Amino acid sequence: MQLRKRKNVNEISLSTSEKVISAISYIFMGLLTLCAILPILHVVSKSFSSAAAVTSGSVLFWPVKPQFETMQYVLEETPFLNAMKNSLIVTGVGTVISMLVTIGTAYPLSKPDFKGRKFFIMAYIVSMVFFGGIVPAYMVVRTLKIIDTYIALILPFFIVHFNMFVVKNYFEGLPESVEESARIDGASDMRILVSIVCPMSKPVLATVSMLYAVNYWNNYFHAMMYTTSTKMQTLQVFIYNTINNTQTLVERLVIGNYTNVSIDGIIAAVVVLSLIPIVALYPFVQRFMVHGITIGSVKG
Amino acid sequence: MKNITARLRPGIKPRKPYGLLAYLRDHYLLYLMLVPGLFFLIVYKFLPLYGITIAFKDYSIFAGSNPIDAIAKSPWVGLKHFDRLFSSSQFVKVLLNTLIINGYKILFLFPIPIICAIMLNEIRNVAYRKLAQTAIYVPYFFSWVIVFGIFYSLLGTYGIVNSALAALGYERISFFSDTNVFRGLLVFTEGWKEVGWNTVIYLAAITAIDPTLYEAARVDGAGKLRQIWNITLPGLAPTIVLMLILKVGYILETGFEQILVFYNATVYDVADVIQTYVYRMGLGQADFSLGTALGLFNSVVAFILIVGANTVCKKLLNRSIW
Repeated sequence: MQLRKRKNVNEISLSTSEKVISAISYIFMGLLTLCAILPILHVVSKSFSSAAAVTSGSVLFWPVKPQFETMQYVLEETPFLNAMKNSLIVTGVGTVISMLVTIGTAYPLSKPDFKGRKFFIMAYIVSMVFFGGIVPAYMVVRTLKIIDTYIALILPFFIVHFNMFVVKNYFEGLPESVEESARIDGASDMRILVSIVCPMSKPVLATVSMLYAVNYWNNYFHAMMYTTSTKMQTLQVFIYNTINNTQTLVERLVIGNYTNVSIDGIIAAVVVLSLIPIVALYPFVQRFMVHGITIGSVKG
Repeated sequence: MKNITARLRPGIKPRKPYGLLAYLRDHYLLYLMLVPGLFFLIVYKFLPLYGITIAFKDYSIFAGSNPIDAIAKSPWVGLKHFDRLFSSSQFVKVLLNTLIINGYKILFLFPIPIICAIMLNEIRNVAYRKLAQTAIYVPYFFSWVIVFGIFYSLLGTYGIVNSALAALGYERISFFSDTNVFRGLLVFTEGWKEVGWNTVIYLAAITAIDPTLYEAARVDGAGKLRQIWNITLPGLAPTIVLMLILKVGYILETGFEQILVFYNATVYDVADVIQTYVYRMGLGQADFSLGTALGLFNSVVAFILIVGANTVCKKLLNRSIW
């Protein structure tokens, strides 16, 4: 009885400010959620709306006079699928390679008694804080004669220093006793890494591979700088070119007599199609990235 | 160390004197593992450092058998390109643009995620909270090209916003080529992409605060605002300081790809930043030496900022960026 009474006193003294703050929070976060979602919904609606509806600006957040001709046009008449293929290859192969290199570098450097550890770590820190510049990097890539190849698209993110340090710090935090007992049982370094250290580090490895995949998938600048042919262009380059070369699109639409396809519709369709892989992976992204935040903030 | 172990655990035999060679023989695999990463460092990080000498030469890409060889074969010209750079009005312009645009971004966007995280934490309805928490950072995973595409759809001449303006009798605004609104567009789209993600970062820091502190405050009769002011904000302070230091430390690095995607010739005056200018001059117009010179200036300032940021981090928070 006494407890309830005290609770009541508290409720009365807090209720006004608590209610106001709570109400503001609900409304504001609702608005923020809409702010994130509505633009995406708008683009999706546009990509499935008729040309007339798109150009008159009457499409809001639901398709008007739904059609699939815009999607069909993008898939059949533009190099979209080829660009998607390039992006998938670069992201898939690149992420696997980067993870192998990152783990292979982080593991030796995480061992306190590794000979030369300080020197190697210093090399990574120096190259992390001092950047040679865009022009010299481009000259290196040209010298290697890998312009317009997949290698040039993977090279810039081959190993991302920050990711390597996150993995290294995580390895350092693992209990030493497990590794020690495996060593006494005669396990080699490689064996310990593959069957003990990596399985114990699943969360951080998942997070870092996600970071790499996002890096590869989203990169526009390097892809634009290091590719020259249409055959090699990645999705981001293709989308950028589509938005910025509407004139050629108009001509092609007129020549091909696509009356129900509009420029703005095509741009929307291209954006929507390229979002599919991200949306498909979002549950994983969410699980590992949010976890990764705490990993990133714990590192010391 | 080994001697101590041996002394403490007499059962384990002390190992034979263990030299560098023996260590290498036992652990050569560890060194092999480092090779790919080091190869990358040498090729893509250290070789470009040699390429910096382009800034001090009249570089001609065809002077040698390949672009790197051409560096050695091009004549030294001292600080000629730096004189050219520092005496041009463009240099002052891009430097100011870099500072102004990133300054606006920090000023307007830095506090928002902190406020959002506190609000999100106040929401008791689990389903609502989960929905908001999941939805707000979706844009973080979109590339700048995608964000550009989405905002082109919204703000283009026949986009939803301009259609609404026209219907209400206002003039259409050309968001992508009007020098008065372009910086606002950059700040807004950056906010759209990043606020949700930063909110989740702060939220993670809030959930790490000891809940008994709130209970104690409530017993003492502290209201919600007082709890936020006296518990939540102090609990967030290290994260806030860290994020701010990082933001300032990387002020020259951020925003490059965004501007590269969003800008066009009509807004160069208000949007051209150091990195975009380096790219346009150095590679677009093949003025390699000038591009390298400005790139070097950028790298030196960035280096000072980042090392400075790390020093402050270590002093204040006892934590290193790397």
